[in-house]
Amino acid sequence: MPARPYGEATEAYRIPKLIRLAPNLYGVCFTLMKMIPARHILRRAEADGLLEPETVVVETTSGTFGLALAMQTAQAGRRLILVSDPAVDERLLRRLTDLGAVVERVAAKAAVGGYQAARLTRLAEIRRELPSTFCPEQYSNPDNPRSYALVAELLVEALGQVDCVVGPVGSGGSLCGTTRFLRSVLPDCHAIGVDSHDSVLFGHPDGPRALRGLGNSLMPPNLDHTVLDSVHWCTADEAFLATRQLHQRHALFMGPTSGAAYLSARWWAREHPDALTVVLLPDEGYRYLDTVYDDAWLAAEGHVRAELPDAPTPVADATVPGTVWSAFDWGRRTYADAVAGVGLAVR
Amino acid sequence: MTQGRRGPGAPRVGIGTAHGHHGELVQGAFSRPGGALVRALLTLPHRGIGSRVVFHPEPGAALVLPGPGYEKVGRAVELTLRALFDEPPGGRVEVTGDVPRGVGMGSSTSDVTAAIRAVADSRGAPLPDDEVARLAALAEGACDSIMVADRVVLFAQREGAVVETLAPRLPPMVVVGCDTDPGVSVDTLAHEQPRYGSTELATFGVLRSALRRSLTTGDVGLLGRAASASARINQRFLPKQPLDFLLALAEEEGACGVQVAHSGTVAGVIFDPARPDTAHGVYRAVDRIGAAGLPVTSVLGESLVRDVPVGA
Repeated sequence: MPARPYGEATEAYRIPKLIRLAPNLYGVCFTLMKMIPARHILRRAEADGLLEPETVVVETTSGTFGLALAMQTAQAGRRLILVSDPAVDERLLRRLTDLGAVVERVAAKAAVGGYQAARLTRLAEIRRELPSTFCPEQYSNPDNPRSYALVAELLVEALGQVDCVVGPVGSGGSLCGTTRFLRSVLPDCHAIGVDSHDSVLFGHPDGPRALRGLGNSLMPPNLDHTVLDSVHWCTADEAFLATRQLHQRHALFMGPTSGAAYLSARWWAREHPDALTVVLLPDEGYRYLDTVYDDAWLAAEGHVRAELPDAPTPVADATVPGTVWSAFDWGRRTYADAVAGVGLAVR
Repeated sequence: MTQGRRGPGAPRVGIGTAHGHHGELVQGAFSRPGGALVRALLTLPHRGIGSRVVFHPEPGAALVLPGPGYEKVGRAVELTLRALFDEPPGGRVEVTGDVPRGVGMGSSTSDVTAAIRAVADSRGAPLPDDEVARLAALAEGACDSIMVADRVVLFAQREGAVVETLAPRLPPMVVVGCDTDPGVSVDTLAHEQPRYGSTELATFGVLRSALRRSLTTGDVGLLGRAASASARINQRFLPKQPLDFLLALAEEEGACGVQVAHSGTVAGVIFDPARPDTAHGVYRAVDRIGAAGLPVTSVLGESLVRDVPVGA
């Protein structure tokens, strides 16, 4: 790659660092992975003439996708309204507002669909009140998974061969997009999606989740289940400890979704010494200094554990949440086939 | 002209040669830094076939071409004489060659390139490759990169310009070539330019990475899979009816992939000579392609497996 200055911060933030964690395991380390879809979607909208000077960008998020949008709109001098839960992280809120974003917090859960439904209702109201808005819709916009061709480009050029990709799943964009584009030249590449128990993405009933940033209470259209070879669910305790080990052993200061993915990737790489595994590590640890990186907080919240299991517990039914790290042979099936336990090809 | 006008030395008989190709390894549209798209390709050269042009200059006389169908050659001679010597074209042009026409093996570009070189030679003023490329694209409207002899390039066929130098040379490969639609010929320029979709454009970025990687490391497997991906995308624009047959054959015979002429009818099954059993796979591929009724046009790199004994 020729050394060349970046034209703006958001261009640089898209680019991950590829870091060797074991002879056959590489971390794809992002400062802010969501910059990839946020920047791509807004630039695409600009090119397609969807953004007039007065157009307000609106989205329902209080997470890292919102931060990536706010960085883009700050650069472009454009208005941004984000609709979030009451529980938005205060540090992130300060950063978002400093970037000029307006963050609206919905007051209460909707009767059906909880906070997410309430957020969507409020978003619709805001759009009706404004003359021109654009919503990136990260959960359904096909430009989200498409934007991850960038990651496949970097991996193919740097490594040539990739036998397995592991990543946390929230919208489905990063793991499905990266894997699909990798498979254009590496058709046998194995994909492992990492979820939280009590998330609906791979068959569990919705429930309270202490591990945030992956999993979902609603099914995002961008999640293409037929990309996945296997699915892992882990607990908050396991993800937090794995996050700390990633920091302690590799000096990689990442958030807990990275820890969850690292846990699964480390196991797969160990089990397949002749295969090359890469793991997507989506964001840094700063937001979690007072939680995941604070032993007192972990103890107070009951998240302390001494060690991690050597391997995930295999499960035969995708619809039953467990209490430990577990794995299910998804087999690139549709959601309906996999949760019904049918259609698994004999390999 | 950056070079200024050369010569004019005493005009003499000029000779130029150029080789053909066997379609492309990859062809698509690629984003430049900054985001603009450029249509570009990676040519698979075929050095066993080519064109030879002899130019007998006669300043002040009319330009005499070998016959109808050589308008592009005439344009190339005229452009070169005007560009280099600010002279109107005059003289006689002889063209000989063995590049099959209308199948995507570069007959037109090899004639035009040989003509440009013959005119330059007639004044003792050999041209650099990039200038030959620019003149060829002007004469033809689009050209492949066969005139770029000393390196492997991603080449913008409409501009006649190198987009990126990928490697000093291609890795050793054996390519079993065939005509996927015998008797049919494709007019490269009349053929409409593909309008790629967003996912196809994103895929070309990955294919470019695969080219960079495979050509620097000599990974014929990855190069072959990139070629197959490009061939599959091209099915929407200029479909090869037997592509699925060739892809399955490649898989079954231990080959690396399938390349096609994106504006022609030839295709080739790519083998890595470094793999064991490649000789066997190559001979099986020749047999099976012939048995399927597709004429085998050539086996590129055949010498790499010729002396390997083949078991029963």
